[in-house]
Amino acid sequence: MHTFAYARPTELAEAVALLEAHGPDARLLAGGTDLIIRLRDGSARPGVVIDVKRIAEMRPSIREEAGCLVIGAGTVMSDIAADDRARRVFPALAEAAAVVGSVQIRNRATLAGNVCNASPAADTAPALLVYGARVVAVGPAGTRRIPIDGFFVRSGVTTLARGEIVTAIELPVPERAMGAVHVRRTRRRGHDLASVTLCCGVDTAGVTRLAYGSVGPRPVLGVDESGVLADPAAPDAVKGPIFERLFVDASPSARSMRASPEYRQAMLRVLGARALRVAIDRLAQR
Amino acid sequence: MSASAAMLPIELTVNGQRRAIEVAVHHTLLDVLRDDLGLTGTKECCLVGECGACTVILDGRTVDSCLVLAVEADGLEITTVEGLAADQGLSLLQQAFLDKGAVQCGFCIPGQLVSAHALLADNPHPTVPEIQEGLAGNLCRCGCYQQISDAVLATADGAGR
Amino acid sequence: MSATRIGTSPNRVGGLGRVTGRNDYVADIRLPGVLEARLVTLDCARARIISIDTSAALAVPGVRLVMTAADLPQPVPRFGPQFEDRPVIAVGETKYHGEPVAIVAAETKDAAEEAAGLVRVDYEELPAAFTLAAALDPAAPLVREPALRPNDRLAATNVLREHRIGWGDIDATTADVIVEHTYTFPMVTHFAIEPHAFMAAPDGGGIAVWSTIQHPNWLQKVIAKVLALPLSKVRVFAPDPGGGFGGKQHAKLEPLVAFAALRAGRPVRLVLSLEETFQAVRRAACEVRVRTGVDRDGSLRFEDITADYLIGAYADIADRVVGKGSYPAAGPYNVPAVRILARSVLSHTVPSTAFRGFGNPQVNWAVESNLDEAARAIGMDRRAIRLRNLAKKGDAFIPFDTPADGDWEQTVRRAAELIGWDAPLPPGHGRGLAVGIKSGPTTGLSYSTVRLLGDGSVVVLAGTSDMGQGARTVFAQIAAMELGAPLDWVTVVMGDTAIVPYDQQTSASRSTVLMGNSVLQACRSIQAQLRTMAARLHGLEESQVTVDRGVVRLPNRELSILEVLEPGLGALGGQLTGNGEVRKDAEPGHPLGGSAAFFEFNCTAVEAAVDMETGDVTLVRHVTVSDVGTALNPLQVTMQDEGAAIQGLGHTLMEHYIYDEKGRIRNLGAIDYRIPTSMDLPLELISEAVENEDGPGPYGSKGMSEGALLCVAPAVGAAVRDATGVEIRDLPLTPERVWRALRDRPTA
Repeated sequence: MHTFAYARPTELAEAVALLEAHGPDARLLAGGTDLIIRLRDGSARPGVVIDVKRIAEMRPSIREEAGCLVIGAGTVMSDIAADDRARRVFPALAEAAAVVGSVQIRNRATLAGNVCNASPAADTAPALLVYGARVVAVGPAGTRRIPIDGFFVRSGVTTLARGEIVTAIELPVPERAMGAVHVRRTRRRGHDLASVTLCCGVDTAGVTRLAYGSVGPRPVLGVDESGVLADPAAPDAVKGPIFERLFVDASPSARSMRASPEYRQAMLRVLGARALRVAIDRLAQR
Repeated sequence: MSASAAMLPIELTVNGQRRAIEVAVHHTLLDVLRDDLGLTGTKECCLVGECGACTVILDGRTVDSCLVLAVEADGLEITTVEGLAADQGLSLLQQAFLDKGAVQCGFCIPGQLVSAHALLADNPHPTVPEIQEGLAGNLCRCGCYQQISDAVLATADGAGR
Repeated sequence: MSATRIGTSPNRVGGLGRVTGRNDYVADIRLPGVLEARLVTLDCARARIISIDTSAALAVPGVRLVMTAADLPQPVPRFGPQFEDRPVIAVGETKYHGEPVAIVAAETKDAAEEAAGLVRVDYEELPAAFTLAAALDPAAPLVREPALRPNDRLAATNVLREHRIGWGDIDATTADVIVEHTYTFPMVTHFAIEPHAFMAAPDGGGIAVWSTIQHPNWLQKVIAKVLALPLSKVRVFAPDPGGGFGGKQHAKLEPLVAFAALRAGRPVRLVLSLEETFQAVRRAACEVRVRTGVDRDGSLRFEDITADYLIGAYADIADRVVGKGSYPAAGPYNVPAVRILARSVLSHTVPSTAFRGFGNPQVNWAVESNLDEAARAIGMDRRAIRLRNLAKKGDAFIPFDTPADGDWEQTVRRAAELIGWDAPLPPGHGRGLAVGIKSGPTTGLSYSTVRLLGDGSVVVLAGTSDMGQGARTVFAQIAAMELGAPLDWVTVVMGDTAIVPYDQQTSASRSTVLMGNSVLQACRSIQAQLRTMAARLHGLEESQVTVDRGVVRLPNRELSILEVLEPGLGALGGQLTGNGEVRKDAEPGHPLGGSAAFFEFNCTAVEAAVDMETGDVTLVRHVTVSDVGTALNPLQVTMQDEGAAIQGLGHTLMEHYIYDEKGRIRNLGAIDYRIPTSMDLPLELISEAVENEDGPGPYGSKGMSEGALLCVAPAVGAAVRDATGVEIRDLPLTPERVWRALRDRPTA
C-alpha cells in the first residue's frame, strides 16, 4: 500500500480546513471498508487521509430532532439495523443496513460513508431516497442540507463541494404512514454486493415511491402519484406500464461481472412487484 | 514510497496488555498484530474484508483487521484469538469447537472463534439461523459450518441457565 | 485401560493449537534475517518478454535481490510431476495471466512491494488461447512448442494427450433409446483459506524449504533436481497446510524461492495473496459429450463419452487428472460397451492441478445428468434405473480393474430413504439423485516409524500431510489402540523430510489405507518385539504370548504393555521401534499404471426449491451417503463428507472464473469469486456412512473425502430439472443461468 499523511482531527473545523486545503488529494476515513480496499489496490492514492472518527460532531449517534431521525456520520450499519426507532419508523433502511456485508463490515461501515462513496449499488441508497433523506454537510461556506435525491452523480461522485464533510443523515419522520421494504438480488444467500437493490414505499395517500440501485450510474427514485400501484386491487396489466415508467432510467452496465443487463432489468421488475406487495401489506398493518 | 512511510506512536491494549509501539501509518491492524506484535494467531487471507480470517474484536466489536489501519486503533482495546481464554486454559467455546469437531485445517478458526465469542456475548442463546448469519463473514473452505454452529449452540447451552 | 479407540471420535490431534492460535502455519514462521519476497507479473494472458529493467527496483532501500530468468542457471531449469515443462520463472514468454517474470526480495514487505512495482518489463502481448474452442482451433497459437514434443503426432496441436478407455464393441451395440447431449463444467479454484506460502534458507551446504506442500517428499526431489543437490542436503518442512484440496500437492514457486535464498545467502519468504493463488492453481474446466444407450427395460447398453479438459499452460499433474478422472466415467454400473476418449487440452491459462475429485466431478456431472435424461426417455424412475444397473460387490464393472468393492446398492437405498424419494413433493420442489465413484490410489509407497518409549508413550513418524482431513488423529488412534496408550500420550510427527520416513504423497484419499496400514504394520512389529520380551521375562515360548490391542496375553494372565515394557527394557531404558512399509507397485500394462486400491462410492440425493421468477435454487435437503468400510473416526468422516458436499455446492451454484476478451481473469479475489458461506448451506444437510468393514485399510476402512463432492452437481441439476422441467447442462447453476433457461425454454 502506498503511504500517506494521516490526520486525526478532533475538531470539525480542522477537518473541513484540511479537506478544503487538499481537495481531491485528501480522502476521509470513517469505517474504511471501501477506502482501505482502494488504498491497497492503488485505485486511491491520496496524499492525506483524514480520520474523522474522533470528531465530536461525527461520533456515532441516532437521535430524534425536529421531526427527524438524525443519524450521525460515524454511526455504523450494525447500530442502525438494531435501532428500535429506525426499525419502527424507517424499517427499509434498517433492513438495508442489516445486509451491507457481514457483521464485521457492518460494525465499521458508516451510513454516511456508504452515501459519500456513492456506489450505484449502495444498499442504503434506495431506502434513503424513498424516505426523502437529507445529507447534512458542513463546509467552508457553512452548513447545507442536501436532499438525497440529486446527491448522487455517478460512481464515486456526489454533489458535495470541495471541503464539505457530511456530519449526519436526516430522515424526516413521514407525515403520512408508510409501508416500506428493502429487497435485493445477490449471487448467493451469504453476504454479497447486490446486482439489484431496491426499496418500495407506499403511503396512506396512495403515493408509491420506488428507488433502485445497481442498474445504472446512480441510484434512481421514481414516484407514482396516480395511486394505481398502491391499489392492491389494480390488475397487473394496469400496473405494468407504470412500473415501466418508473424503470425507464435503468441502464445496467454490460461490463458488469455480477449480472447481465437483461437479468438486472428482469429482476428489477420482479423485485419491484414483490416489494410493492410487501409495502402494501406493511402499510395495511400499521 | 511506502518504504519510507511516516512512523506514528500509538498505544494499543491487546488482550489486556498495554502496548506502546511505533507503526507505519499505512500498515493495517492485521499487519501490526502479526508482524510487530508477533501475534500470529490472527490470519491473513483475502485482505478485502470478505473472508473474516483476520477477525478481531476492536473496541468491543468484531471487525476485519485487514480493513483497519493500526493508527485508527490507537487508544483502543483489541482482543485476538490469543486472548479468548485466561492463561493456558481454554474457553468453553474453544473446548466446544474441539468437542464438536468444528476444526479441520484450522486456518479460519481464529476468526470463527472471535466472531462466535462476540456473537454469544451479544446474544447468549442464538438460534441456528442467527449463528449462520452472525458467522457468515467467516468463510470456511473445509466446510465445517454445521459443526461450528453445533459448537456455538453447545457453548450457549453449557453456559448455564 | 479404555476400550477400542477405533470407531470413536476423540478430539482432533492438533486441535488445541488451532483453537488457541498457537499452531504455526508456514506464514506464521519467521526466520531471523528473512527477506520478504514479491512476484512481478504482467497484466495480460500471454506475452513475449522483450526486456526487463530491474534498476529502479534495485535502488529501493532495503531491496536485496531482484531475480529474473537471466539470473538463473542456463538453460533455466524446468520441473513438473508429469512433464518437466514449467520453468522456474518465465523464460522469454509468459503463458498465462499471472505467470511470474521476476521476484523481488527485500528487508520489508513494503520495500518488496514498492520494488516489485518498479520492475519495468517491456513486453509484446501475444494472441492467447484461453477457451476450449480457441485452443482446439486448427489456427490456435500453440502453448507448447512442437520442438519440445518430438515423435508426438499431436505436437502441432494444443492437445497434450488423448486417453482412450473402453470395452465391448460399442459400434455393434444397439439400444432401444439413445440420448446424446453435451455438458460443460466451469473453471474453478481451490480457495483454501490459507494462501500458498513458501520459505527457503541456505542450510549448510544445502537448503531448507518450508512449504504448504501436500507432498513433502515429492517436493524434496524437485528441489534437489533443480538445485543439483543430493536429497540428503534438501530438507523440506511441511507444516500442516491450512486447506489443500489438491492445490498444494505439487511444486509451484518453491524452486524460485530456493534459488532466491541461495542467491541472497539468506532466508527468503514468499506468501501469496489470495488473488495470486487464483493464478497459481485451479481445476480443469471440461466439455463432455455423452451418448447413452438404454433399452426400454432400463438396462444400460452403452456409454460413449468424449471429454475435453481445458488444462493450463503447464501440465502440472493435469494430464493424470484427465486420464484417471475420465477412466471410471461410465460410472459404477455394469455397462456392456463403453468408449471413453478424454483429452487434456493445453491453453494459455493458469495451470490446472489436482482438486478434490481429480477429474471425476466433471465427467460425473455429464454422465449422471445424461442417465437421468435416458430414464425420462423410457419413463423409468431415476432411482430405479440406477439400481437396475449398479454393479454388485465383486462385479468387474471395469473389466481390467478392481471389481466393485462395496455394497453400493445399500448406499443408494439409504440415500433415497433419507431424502424421502417416494414421498410427495411440495409444489415448486424437485428431487435429484446421483451416484459416483472415484478410484483410490493406483500406486503408492508409505513408510512409517513408530516408537514405543520407555514410559509407554508413543511417537508416530508419518509423512502424510494433515491439511484438515484428520490424518494425524487417525494415525494416533491406530497407535493408541494397538499399543495401549491413552490418545494424548501419542505424538504424531509429520512434515520434516529429515526426520520422517518417506511417503509418496497425500492425495487420492489414500492416507488412511496406505499410511494407516503402514502405521499398523509398525505397531505390529512393536507388538512382536513385546511378545519376545514377555516370553523372555516369563520363561515362555513366543507362541504362548499374544499382544492384541494394547493387552499382553499370557497363558494365565493379562498384562498391560507397560508391565512388560518396563522390566523388559531394564535399567538402561530405551525404546522399541517398529517400521512399516506399504507398497502398491505399478502394474505394467494397466491403463492407469495400477488398479484402484479401493473405490470411493457416494450417493447424493437432493431436494430443491426453485424460485421460478429469479432462478434462485434453494436446497431444502441434501443427503450424502458414502461407502467407507469402517469409520475409524466417525466425526471426522462426517466432517469430510459434509465439507466435500459444501465444496461441491460451490461449483454447482456459484463458482467460476470470469475472463475478459483478452484472457485476463476479471474476478481475482474474494469479492467477485463467490464460495459458499454459512448462509449458503442446504436447509438440511445429512451425511451418513455405510460401514461393512470391507475396505483394505486398517480395521476394514476405505479412503474417503472426495466421494461426497462427485455427485453434488448432477444431483442438484436433476432436482432443478425435476422442479422446473428445464434441463440445464452448464455449471454453475447461478440464479441468472436458471432464470435464462426458464425464460428460453420452448413453450410446450
